Amino acid sequence: MNKRTAGDRVFGVIVTLILILCAVIALVPLISVLALSFSSKVAVNTNAVTLWPVGFTFDSWAAITGRPDMWRATLVTVITTLVGTTLALAITSLLAYPLSKKEFGLQKMIMVMVVITMIFKAPTVPYFLTLRSIGLYNSVWAMVLPHILTAYNMIVMRTFFLSFPREVEESATIDGCGPFRTLLQIVLPSSKAVIAVIGLFYAVTIWNQYQHPLYFIQDTSLYPLQMKVRQFVNESSELQTIAAKKAVNYTERSLKAVVVVFAILPIMMVYPKLQKYFEKGAMLGSVKG
Amino acid sequence: MEKAAGRQGSVRKQSTGLGANFRKYWPYYLMAFPGVVYLIIFKFVPMLGCVIAFQDYQVYKGIFHSDWVGMKNFANMFAYSDFSRILTNTLMMGALRILFCFPVPVILALMMNELGSAKLKKTIQTAVYIPYFLSWIIVSELIFDFLGVSGLFNRGRALFGMRPLLVMQQSRYFRTVYVLSTIWKEAGWGTVVYMAAIAGIDQSLYEAASIDGATRLQKMRFITFPLILPTALTLLLLQIGSFMELGFEHVYSLLTPMTYSTGDIFDTYVYRVGILQAQYSITTAVGLFQSVIGLVMVVFFNQLSKKVSEDGGLW
Repeated sequence: MNKRTAGDRVFGVIVTLILILCAVIALVPLISVLALSFSSKVAVNTNAVTLWPVGFTFDSWAAITGRPDMWRATLVTVITTLVGTTLALAITSLLAYPLSKKEFGLQKMIMVMVVITMIFKAPTVPYFLTLRSIGLYNSVWAMVLPHILTAYNMIVMRTFFLSFPREVEESATIDGCGPFRTLLQIVLPSSKAVIAVIGLFYAVTIWNQYQHPLYFIQDTSLYPLQMKVRQFVNESSELQTIAAKKAVNYTERSLKAVVVVFAILPIMMVYPKLQKYFEKGAMLGSVKG
Repeated sequence: MEKAAGRQGSVRKQSTGLGANFRKYWPYYLMAFPGVVYLIIFKFVPMLGCVIAFQDYQVYKGIFHSDWVGMKNFANMFAYSDFSRILTNTLMMGALRILFCFPVPVILALMMNELGSAKLKKTIQTAVYIPYFLSWIIVSELIFDFLGVSGLFNRGRALFGMRPLLVMQQSRYFRTVYVLSTIWKEAGWGTVVYMAAIAGIDQSLYEAASIDGATRLQKMRFITFPLILPTALTLLLLQIGSFMELGFEHVYSLLTPMTYSTGDIFDTYVYRVGILQAQYSITTAVGLFQSVIGLVMVVFFNQLSKKVSEDGGLW
């Protein structure tokens, strides 16, 4: 370290500056939309808002959070995420566990099936028609069932089960545990980290999903948050009408900003605490069976 | 377990065949059952549903009673002017994505590795990961706002005396927006794998290089970079293999009728024409065309990546 040349120091400074710039680029759009959501009508209309609220007000927030449909959409998103993640973890671990056992007679065959689903994606239209024919049209299940088993997550979990010490499972078997009890009471409790990671990825997928509700949900009372954002942002006539009233202290743009912040707030609140799990997950993916 | 099975086997007749396996290990069959049923309904039935690409599919007649038309849908498809447009757009955007988006995480990771302060590194990582966890709807709204008349982009232009430029409404900028938004959302997160690869590098290599008087740039160039190259190559091949998967949500949320000419891809076209306008057979033919090309690409590049590194490949 004491031999650092001037060139090395210059290099270090340049790299640091570039990376700080990258971090700023990643955050500026979010800070800007946050600032807009708390700014007054005059400030927004005169383009006075950059990265800090101008004419600080909660009026836009009050207008959006006062809407029952926003809360309804939040409820739909929360429930589908919770139910979906639970189901996903159950069905994924139940499939991954026997597939990690070479005694299981169908192991090879089912693994081939799983790999086929990874390399050949059924075209959208027959997929849509199949799901519609089993009654997923305008059903909340259309936002749950399509996400509860991902080949990739299943393989990651199976890889983890494969590395589980066999002696531990054997001693459980000798003590009279059947495969179900072994899985539930021995294997899963020691796999909390991998369960947490995979659960998080399922949860983010379901929370952020947009394609399935777009295809299947026509009934606006079943809209999840992402569809609500889309509805306000794209067919913004509704927000325009609200914002057109003279007496109000918000604009269409500040209302949109609130909707956006509202939809990302839950993820932003949990993300910093869970960051290390997410990182772990991304690395788990690079180990395969 | 094997010993126990062996002992049992010596007493009773060695059990063979699926029936015997089932009798002995039925709980495994029971466990796998829901997952297998799921795969059949959600993955395999839609694959069989591809037959409507060879039919004149009518909803009221159903898949079993619609008329068979052979390759007519495919012939029509290739004759469509729309088809060459969406094929060009898909290929162009796929190629641009690999060309411009793929190298960014590698460069970012190399630079992050050079940060002296662990605290600063952590902060920067946290910041650049964030966009990955936002949905495309949110990201597209951020982009529309940023590039709008009163957005930061045009206010920045105004500072330099330039007139506002409505980027999102002009077809010639669509692919640029697509590439830049991919980088904004995914490049930061893409560094995780490379950072893990860098963390696994033997520190004594750097020490030896320091003794030989190597500069930091030389260490990056001749130690770190070559050692993460196999990881990068594997990921590159897998990405080329799936280059037709541009992300329906991504493209659809940025697309407006004004940008169809450069931004409409297979996925968005199939949604509009197939699902919204209910032209099921022709769009299944389009989808099948895409899936088959995708299959060939994925298998080919997966094999290739297995060749270049022993733990490459998805399977």
